[in-house]
Amino acid sequence: MLGPAHLPPKPPPGLPPLPPGWIEHKAPIGHSYYYNRETKQSTYVRPVAQLQFSPQQFTATMPYQTPRFAGAPMGGSYGGNLNNHQHQNFHGGQNRGRGGFRGSHGIQDRHRRELEDKPKHRYNIPGCKPWVLVKTKLGRRFVYNTETNESFWKFPAEVMKGVVEFDRIERGKKERRERGEPSEDEDEDMGEPDEKAFVGADTRSSTKHPHEEGDDDSSEYEEVEVTDDEGADEGSASKRQRTEEPANDQPVEFNEDDIAYQLAAMGQDHGLDPGEYDNPDDEDWEPGAEGLPLTEDDSKALFRDLLDDCHINPYSTWEKVIEDGYIIDDDRYTVLPNMKSRKECWSEWARDKIQVLKEQREKQEKRDPKIPYLAILQKHATPKLYWPEFRRKYKKEPEMKDMKLSDKERERCYREHINRLKLPQSTLKSDLSALLKSLPLSVLNRSTSLAALPSELLTDIRFISLPASTRDPLVETYISTLPPAPEGSSLSAEEELELEKKRAERERREKALAEREKRVHEEKRRQQRNLDFGKGRLRQEEMELQQAMKVGKEGLKAQLGFLADEKDGKGEQAGSGGINGE
Amino acid sequence: MPVYRTGARNKKPPPDGFEDIEDTLLEFSNKMKDAENASHEGKKKYEMLWPIFQITHQRSRYIYDLYYEKEAISKTLYDWLLKNGYADANLIAKWKKQGYEKLCCLRCIQTKETNFNSTCICRVPKDKLQENQTIECVSCGCRGCSSSD
Repeated sequence: MLGPAHLPPKPPPGLPPLPPGWIEHKAPIGHSYYYNRETKQSTYVRPVAQLQFSPQQFTATMPYQTPRFAGAPMGGSYGGNLNNHQHQNFHGGQNRGRGGFRGSHGIQDRHRRELEDKPKHRYNIPGCKPWVLVKTKLGRRFVYNTETNESFWKFPAEVMKGVVEFDRIERGKKERRERGEPSEDEDEDMGEPDEKAFVGADTRSSTKHPHEEGDDDSSEYEEVEVTDDEGADEGSASKRQRTEEPANDQPVEFNEDDIAYQLAAMGQDHGLDPGEYDNPDDEDWEPGAEGLPLTEDDSKALFRDLLDDCHINPYSTWEKVIEDGYIIDDDRYTVLPNMKSRKECWSEWARDKIQVLKEQREKQEKRDPKIPYLAILQKHATPKLYWPEFRRKYKKEPEMKDMKLSDKERERCYREHINRLKLPQSTLKSDLSALLKSLPLSVLNRSTSLAALPSELLTDIRFISLPASTRDPLVETYISTLPPAPEGSSLSAEEELELEKKRAERERREKALAEREKRVHEEKRRQQRNLDFGKGRLRQEEMELQQAMKVGKEGLKAQLGFLADEKDGKGEQAGSGGINGE
Repeated sequence: MPVYRTGARNKKPPPDGFEDIEDTLLEFSNKMKDAENASHEGKKKYEMLWPIFQITHQRSRYIYDLYYEKEAISKTLYDWLLKNGYADANLIAKWKKQGYEKLCCLRCIQTKETNFNSTCICRVPKDKLQENQTIECVSCGCRGCSSSD
């Protein structure tokens, strides 16, 4: 086995010239792909004209496990996977007539598979003793005779029965093992009509054989084509074919040259047309084998971009989107592997989009439904028509069908308008000027243009009473006399109202505060007064006490004097003690 | 003779957001009309109502998704739609229950109408069925609506 290091050097990108008939294109995602105008074939891998094989290397490096290609009778059963393989075995005859149409693809596809393939499992075939069934890494199978050391891709007739039996058992087991997953034979059923359609609409018939002599570096590239008939089977999951990266990161089993030689030899030996290798079902590969450069997020974002670009209505249904088919034609449609993931992505996108739309709508101011209706009244209403006549005559107008405005309201407006039309011009003019004056400066000011009149004005019946030819100059002159917009006039009327409310609230609060302060002040004064009063009383009491004391002393003296007549010294003592106590 | 008052005259307008989904709903109603007027020739007797059930299911699902999954319509609009028969409220009520997330129609879970008191064949999960057995249930033509499918 040779590692990637042993591979011949890759040609620098873009260097080898394209074979005649091929054109390079840039895909919307950025990478380039190649298109052949004659064969209507497109591929992501740069096609290079020629190849050379070296048979010596082949013999040297051929791994022993692989079936011996040279000795084996090679049939058309080159299914890249189990399903198709089987199918082709059962319907082997159908491929016969195709001759050499398929051109290089069969070989190249096969070639690629060979690069990566190696035997993986070995099963005993019931009833055919020496034969064993070998399954390769890529799901292909061949039979191997353990006694004669023979191996065949195409099962010999006697082994075939055993293989069919084996398959049946195997399938049963598998079903039992993993319930819920699509069974193999379902895929098989799908594969069959696919194949037929493929044969019918084969567009690749006359592709040039790239494995001729010359530049053998090209064999490093693997060719993958974008099949045209994929759109038909989009329902089946994960069937999209994607860009194949050069298989540098994958284990390589053979030298390319060997393989190319093998292929060529086999083709010659068995008269095979290369188209029979071709496998329309190879989209069934597991995603790991494809080596996708895009991450999941990237592909989701791409798909979302696609939805954005196609201006899909986020409110519609997924079925409708698919039915319309705008998105299917786009390359970005294929970045998601299956329908389920696409649908998921779509519903996520729709949800986000609807949220955005909602926000936008909230920002937009609501237009009064009366405005267009009044406009149509001014245009068409005449006193000659009664309301029912008018309604019948203009019932096709969208304004007349608008559900937002009730029929009663419409009728009321009409009658009022007709009545006003009968009034003299001077009254109408004065009414209009009264209306204009009633509007606040924030709504109508000098910077207001005639095209953007405020809705308060437009919804008023007085505004449309005068014909536009006489009304507009009036309004214009009035506007020109107005002072410019007050500060903050950029605010809408609602905000103005809000501000007004806030101001009132604040005023109320301030007033309440002032009142409370006043009350507190009064309380304080009263308290002060009380205090003063109390102090005064205290002082008075004190004075009274002092006076009383004075009186008391004198009184005491007097008393003492009165007593002193009987006891001299005692009266003195008691008097001094009384003074000390004070 | 009483005055004959026609449709839009005294009708209240639908809630906000109806204009967004109006086109899709109109499409559904057109489809429904076509299905109603389609010829029954060559159809079995029980097949005749299948398209009607299918369209009803699709339309209910559409409204259900808009309200519960995408949150694109308001509660008032959703209620209005239910009230005006754009979606089947009973069916939607079942979808909210576990195990009935994909229910095709109410007849398919009506056990009393079947011989063995069982639900319809379309309620049986795919892996419980025999291999290659394709089913179309008699009541609505459903090909399988078990939640695990």
